[in-house]
Amino acid sequence: MPKHRLIATLLVDNGNVVQTRFFKRTNMVGSAFTAVDFFNGWTVDEIVVLEISPNESPLPRAKEIVRELSRRCFVPLSVGGKIRDLSLAAEFLRIGADKVVINTGAVERPGLITEIAERYGVQCVLVSIDGKPDPSMPSGYRVVIDNARRDTDLDAVAWAKKVVELGAGEIMVNSTTHDGNKQGYDLKLTNAVSRAVSVPVIAMGGAGKLSDFVDGIVEGGADAVAAGNIFHYFEHSTKKAKEAMAAAGLPVRHIGFYQVNMPRRPKYRPH
Amino acid sequence: MTTQTQLQPQPRSERTLDGVRVAVVDYGLANIQSVVNALECFTSNVVVAADPAHLDGADKIILPGVGHFDAGMRGLRERGHEAALNRIVREAGTPLIGICLGFQFLFSGSEEGSEPGLGWIEGRFERFPRQEGLKVPHMGWSEVVCPRSSRLFAGLNPPWEFYFVHSYYLPNKGEAAACASAVCDYGQPFVASIERGNLFGTQFHPEKSQLGGMKLIETFLSLPNASCPSTV
Repeated sequence: MPKHRLIATLLVDNGNVVQTRFFKRTNMVGSAFTAVDFFNGWTVDEIVVLEISPNESPLPRAKEIVRELSRRCFVPLSVGGKIRDLSLAAEFLRIGADKVVINTGAVERPGLITEIAERYGVQCVLVSIDGKPDPSMPSGYRVVIDNARRDTDLDAVAWAKKVVELGAGEIMVNSTTHDGNKQGYDLKLTNAVSRAVSVPVIAMGGAGKLSDFVDGIVEGGADAVAAGNIFHYFEHSTKKAKEAMAAAGLPVRHIGFYQVNMPRRPKYRPH
Repeated sequence: MTTQTQLQPQPRSERTLDGVRVAVVDYGLANIQSVVNALECFTSNVVVAADPAHLDGADKIILPGVGHFDAGMRGLRERGHEAALNRIVREAGTPLIGICLGFQFLFSGSEEGSEPGLGWIEGRFERFPRQEGLKVPHMGWSEVVCPRSSRLFAGLNPPWEFYFVHSYYLPNKGEAAACASAVCDYGQPFVASIERGNLFGTQFHPEKSQLGGMKLIETFLSLPNASCPSTV
């Protein structure tokens, strides 16, 4: 069995990491390049970069930043944030992303999932689903899009099954009531999605203490756990999270290191 | 024991293997940039070979890959890479490492498609069967074991854990098992890497397997070519 993965999610605006709570920005944390350098050294298993620069900011700049991040990242890198068509997905994959993340783009045009999967394989397609508690839905969760600003008619679990049929290789689950809340993952939603689909599920949104990662896997049934905010505030954060998972008896990747003479990348300074 | 101070990659002003000329075979599928990024840590002499002529003069060849087996093999054939690789790797003996889909190309074929592979080693890839509790694709970090001494793994201490992402696997039997340098288990044992003469291949992605994977790439680049005679 593969080990349970710990994923760092970075919301990147013009090369800087920003933090969110309930899908709204709160504060700027610092350089995304520094964050990637550190997480790489702290045994993170994967990095997800969601490019959330304002829509009017130039796309070439976002691409330049993704390219530069990929040059520093020696774990799998998923990139998303603005992907609405195959051409931008192709562009991110060409400049160094290993997977693309789609959310609103998939709801607006589900065929996009299939287009990417057919061209690059299902392992390239990470579909992110944001759920909002709603008793009128069969699973109790409604899918919301556009940073939780717009409701859809979709049931979260039914949509998860649908995206797998369409070609999603992995699903990331977040919840409007848990994002950035530091109270742990939405275990009910994560568990419902995990049980419904045959692809790996990533729990996201709400990790506030190290035991939340363990709960996401044990109780949420997730294959991997992701977080952003929590990792920026203490030394060796991702490493400590892995140690907590290992201490709880979960199989995780070994926490040792090899000596490799990798040169640090040339300095790239966003504004 | 590794100490805390070793955790960060060591800053260096120069690359350790700068003299090594590496060609990355480009047959039109994503994502070769990750491989190039990793190689550029060790040498500045990295050529992305969209044209088979660019493979000439390389000290080492990387056959990367993510994507569909048939699409990849057709890309290799249409661009003339197959003939060039046969000449440069099989006849001239240049060391080559296939990664993921590129690893699959070294064998006879795959259940994923109908195109024949390069056929340098006998073996056919099969799809992971549907099985309770096993998700397909096999995605994530898994541990491998080495059944015999290996040139690639020589500089690495166990546990050997690498990043995998694939839906088709090579059964650990026959000629493939005979040259397997690492075996992994996902429902059933499968070949995770092979070594034979100047041919190397990994089902996992060393370029995405952090320092362990980087070490493996460094080891491959630093192998003396004379120590890798062609046996195909």
